[in-house]
Amino acid sequence: MVDRPLEETELVERARRGDLRAWETIVRTHQGIAFRTAYALSGSAADAEEAAQDGFVKAYRALGRFRRGAPLRPWLLQIVANEARNRRRSAARRDRLALRAAAEHRPGDAVPSPEAALLSRESQEQLLAAVERLSDEHRDAVVCRYLLDLSEEETAAALGVRRGTVKSRLSRALERLREVLEGEL
Amino acid sequence: MSALELRLRALGQSLELPSEPDLAPGVLERLEDGRRPFPWRRGLALALALVALAVGAAFAVPQARSAILRFFHLGGATVIRVETLPPAVERPRAGGLGRPLSLPAAERQVGFRLLLPPFKGREPGRVYVLGDSLATVIVRAHGRTVLLSEFPSFGAQGLKKLAVGKTVIEPVRVDAADGLWLEGGSHTLTYFDRSFGFREQTILIHGNVLLWVRGDLTLRLEGKLTKAQAIDLARRVR
Repeated sequence: MVDRPLEETELVERARRGDLRAWETIVRTHQGIAFRTAYALSGSAADAEEAAQDGFVKAYRALGRFRRGAPLRPWLLQIVANEARNRRRSAARRDRLALRAAAEHRPGDAVPSPEAALLSRESQEQLLAAVERLSDEHRDAVVCRYLLDLSEEETAAALGVRRGTVKSRLSRALERLREVLEGEL
Repeated sequence: MSALELRLRALGQSLELPSEPDLAPGVLERLEDGRRPFPWRRGLALALALVALAVGAAFAVPQARSAILRFFHLGGATVIRVETLPPAVERPRAGGLGRPLSLPAAERQVGFRLLLPPFKGREPGRVYVLGDSLATVIVRAHGRTVLLSEFPSFGAQGLKKLAVGKTVIEPVRVDAADGLWLEGGSHTLTYFDRSFGFREQTILIHGNVLLWVRGDLTLRLEGKLTKAQAIDLARRVR
């Protein structure tokens, strides 16, 4: 007989009852995106690790208030992002987002996506520089929604704002990016 | 999705991000530690030892102060020195403190007996309760209005943090209890708001703050008192 993987809702219920192994599974499932989000918002790998770990500890302790049936990931990201924002570095001291070396690909991503193939490295660097020049709130919205590929709901949770605010920030940020990129052509 | 949005998505796939740490061992260790009987006694002793050590070292080498004084735990409070303060709102004196309740109702709500300074005449008519763990009363002392807040030192409900920029942090004693004195500069107080699920609210504070632990409670005085005045008031809180 083969054990089937537990559904997340079942893991949450077990964790609510004090099952730390269930929580460990949840941490391992979401730690990647939690760390990346914390890194993008805090601007430091060390702060991101600390923020993500604190976030998972606090989330476990707050499980009693997690609404049953609600998606877990936005809730976790909200807690972790809140920790990350508290550790946020000034723009001048923040690690700049950077491109991977041209020949490198992520594990399991041997073939660049068709979208990635469309972009030359030069235009990627130009776009990244334009993103980094946005105001903090526009940059964060763009980074979370597009670069980290969070859903709109997750972006709102990570930024601690309503979905409508995410939409308006993204709209203004895209407009600004278009202006900047057209000006550089 | 527009071409620009597609380009941004593709850009995300090309980012060089730091390698992702395995967080699970650290998370589990902290959670398991919290289950042991009286883990806070050991944690507190360790934290205070570190505070004393760090503060001593920092004050001996002033230029190293910002590098060393970064992270303190005291009871249910965490003091973090950060480069820039997070977005925060100014708090009106009694605004944002929570629901005003009578003293008995507040004690029922928070589940512990409030420690108070001796009052001339009647006890305070109002206690402000945030969620069901943070209680605040407004006290007059040394001609000033001061906020006295109390919350359980440990457990999820007592979560509380302070983020500090240029503020001086100094360990102090309140009778036999250990405490932290935060003076000068602006700093922020972030507290846990249970009524909205897991959401923290951050407010901007300009006054001085004394934090100390008594029994299972962490107490906090906020106002424009001197250190001596704050410690004097804290000693009378019973």
